[in-house]
Amino acid sequence: MKFSIRRSVFIKELNNVQRAISSKTTIPILTGLKLVASDEGLTLTGSNADISIETVISASDEDNGLAIASTGAIVLPARFFSEIIKRLPEDTFELNVTEGFQTEITSGSAAFNVNGLDANNYPHLPEIDTTDAIKLDGAVFKELISQTVIAVSNQESRPILTGVHFELDADQFLAVATDSHRLSQRKVNLPTGSSTKHNVIIPGKSLIELSRMIGDEYDQVEMRLSENQALFILGETSFYTRLLEGTYPDTSRLIPSEAETTVEFEAPALLASIERASLLSHESRNNVIKLIIKPTEQTVTIFGNSPDVGKVEEDLKPNAVTGSELEISFNPDYMKDALHSFGQSTIKISFTSALRPFTLVPTEDQENFIQLITPVRTF
Amino acid sequence: MNKKELYDSFIALTKATQANLEQLQLLQSEISQVIEQNAELEIENEHLRDLLNQSKGSAKEPQLSKSRQNLEKLYEEGFHVCKEWYGKRREDDEACAFCMEVIYREG
Repeated sequence: MKFSIRRSVFIKELNNVQRAISSKTTIPILTGLKLVASDEGLTLTGSNADISIETVISASDEDNGLAIASTGAIVLPARFFSEIIKRLPEDTFELNVTEGFQTEITSGSAAFNVNGLDANNYPHLPEIDTTDAIKLDGAVFKELISQTVIAVSNQESRPILTGVHFELDADQFLAVATDSHRLSQRKVNLPTGSSTKHNVIIPGKSLIELSRMIGDEYDQVEMRLSENQALFILGETSFYTRLLEGTYPDTSRLIPSEAETTVEFEAPALLASIERASLLSHESRNNVIKLIIKPTEQTVTIFGNSPDVGKVEEDLKPNAVTGSELEISFNPDYMKDALHSFGQSTIKISFTSALRPFTLVPTEDQENFIQLITPVRTF
Repeated sequence: MNKKELYDSFIALTKATQANLEQLQLLQSEISQVIEQNAELEIENEHLRDLLNQSKGSAKEPQLSKSRQNLEKLYEEGFHVCKEWYGKRREDDEACAFCMEVIYREG
């Protein structure tokens, strides 16, 4: 195996593949990067058993400056290899597997010899039958991930809640995540529907890595689902992730259908107020802030009290207040996460009672995006 | 201190420790009895209050049914009552949306 390539192209792809490679793995060969040179191009593979990323650098694209002298495969220690490549002196480098798995990397006058591993021992990537490909808009999908992944649980004691639940029915795409304290749900209408129904749970961590890769670069993401794996295709790159096994709890019944009190706010203004009030609540043991809503006077007041430090009170500026009077307490951190996901929009908060969860929706589009937060009892 | 005294004081100490232990065990059983009795009385008290309210025919707001109240009580004591995690301890007394749905759902 012998090839030369433009360094900048290689580093870019290497950075993507390296997201999947972890130095802490129980399978030693997975700390390595797999390189396969074929007549079509160079394939880079990285995996940590949960996520696998594979990307192809095409030999026919002149910009890549890829010249394959002889084909073959090798696994190289990812951490050293990437550090070496990033520090090479010239714009291009040459890689040559000599005797056994000895690998020679040369660029200008610098020459490295690295011990590689047999690529035949590298685990195979999952096989996904590719009949039903779902096309997603890159920007929308990235937004969907960022809006739902905030509500994913980080407690390994309830593994099923560490994932985002995806439900696909024809052109309806629904994503839900909850850690049982709050919930986030986003619906998207797909331009082209799926022929079969899908119901999968994708680990939140995988989705975070995936959304980092989508960047601004890929405007199309293709999703393929199988029994226990999901595959996302971004241009020349394939992203595989394991799915979580089990049944996701029914979340549709958690969302209240009626409201006793509703309030409308500019999301950024409310966020700023919540952040101010949470300065003190973070000091107190139970981390709670209180809202007092008085529709008759059109006022909403926020209270934070931390016996050791002091207290805070702020009159908010709601756009509208309707319904009955209410006093409700909640964890400000959940509110902050939720408000961040609304960006600059105007939001409507609907309360049923001081004991029941309340919901936040953008006033523009009340159907497709909803955040739910459970209150805290304070008596 | 000669050897005999040393041994004697060991024996004395052992006896004293044993006596302490016995006393501790006695107190422990006493206190658990008191706690049990307290719980029983609390329940009794609640029943009596319920009866009292009924006989007064007090016009309270529509309340949760008896079984829902039991669930609510369990929830407040720090246990999940939802289908997903029934009987498990709620970590740090964090609210659970699934439990709330079970307790306060309509119909």
